Amino acid sequence: MLGSRGRSRPADLKALADEELMELVHDGEVRAFEVVFDRHATVAFSLAYRMCGRRAAAEDIVQEAFLSLWRSSRAYDPARGSVRSWVLTVVHNRAIDALRRQGPRDRRDVPDDGIAERLSAPDRTDAEAERRDEARRVRTALDELPPDQRRVIELAYFHGFTHSEIAKMLDLPPGTVKGRMRLGLTKMRNVLSEVSV
Amino acid sequence: MSGGGGLRNGRECGEDAAAYVLGSLEPAEAEAFRRHLAGCTACQQDVAELEQVTGSLADATVRYEVPRDLRRRVLSEVRATPKARASRPARVRRPVVAWGGALAAAVVIVAVVLVVALGSGGSSSRTIQASTGSAELKIADGRADLIVRSLPHLSAGRIYEMWVQRGNATPTPTGTLFAVTSNGTAAVGVPGGVSGVSAVMVTQEPAGGTPAPTTAPVIVARLT
Repeated sequence: MLGSRGRSRPADLKALADEELMELVHDGEVRAFEVVFDRHATVAFSLAYRMCGRRAAAEDIVQEAFLSLWRSSRAYDPARGSVRSWVLTVVHNRAIDALRRQGPRDRRDVPDDGIAERLSAPDRTDAEAERRDEARRVRTALDELPPDQRRVIELAYFHGFTHSEIAKMLDLPPGTVKGRMRLGLTKMRNVLSEVSV
Repeated sequence: MSGGGGLRNGRECGEDAAAYVLGSLEPAEAEAFRRHLAGCTACQQDVAELEQVTGSLADATVRYEVPRDLRRRVLSEVRATPKARASRPARVRRPVVAWGGALAAAVVIVAVVLVVALGSGGSSSRTIQASTGSAELKIADGRADLIVRSLPHLSAGRIYEMWVQRGNATPTPTGTLFAVTSNGTAAVGVPGGVSGVSAVMVTQEPAGGTPAPTTAPVIVARLT
């Protein structure tokens, strides 16, 4: 273990992959956890803030997601997905819980409270530049969907509405809503896999 | 993508996969789909492929700077929650509550529902009891997660500790210590899953945890 050999300098840790860091996190290495936090906290906080629109709620959600990662590191299985996807799944689920407690009327247009600072810092590493490119590709794939498909996906993913709520809101049969979700996600998947080849 | 395949309750089973990965099924539908998923390779493939897309949707959001005090809070909480029991500093001996007495003292005030989703395709829903708040234990593919809601925020120096009991043996600490968010929620994995475990319990303990409980459990989730 890196930590027990005294090699856990921040520079060493930053060179490690998430999966290797998680082994150290499992052994209680706080510095390894810090690297994982710094690597994924921005996207986690951005997702939570995008969904909730309130900085305090977003902070609570992100705090709980990362503490869950620390406490439950034994349960982390790389075969079941990346650290990033685990964190984002927890953030997304917690944000949906928070949104559903608000009631549907408050969720449709989630205005942000304007407290969080937009990140405009230049890319400092190749990895950050790569993530920024990936973000651009995903935004383009989403923007290029037919509006009716994009709308149901955004209402579900970012606003936490169930398909039944969306069907009622848009006056559509539930099967149509599910069909649009499926078509939209499938198109996005095809576009993203073409681009990334 | 498989586009589904078999039938589930008379419907094409693939039709729920997209709504599921978007978190958009109603809770009962999601639970039913999870059970179906355990035994349907076509839907497993669908879900795996669609999850790649939903996983990337987070990337489509505008980036916001992580508040510095959030980083400080998380790391401070992490440092206060040591993972390895052996590495914990020596503690002053504290009064220990015998488990028999502790369990008897777990006065039931609120009944909560324990949902157990079995990876093997079966499922059950049971009522468990807690002295406060509510809890849900989700089990899938050998992994178990305890989700608690409406638990009180503990004062500084106190933390929730998770225990497991095997058969009728004395419950043992899992090493999992946790705090709850401002709205009383937390999600924690049960280390090693719940194979052979007869009960999962939670007590309120001094920060750093204890090798034996000092308070009666606030949650007792019996699995047998």
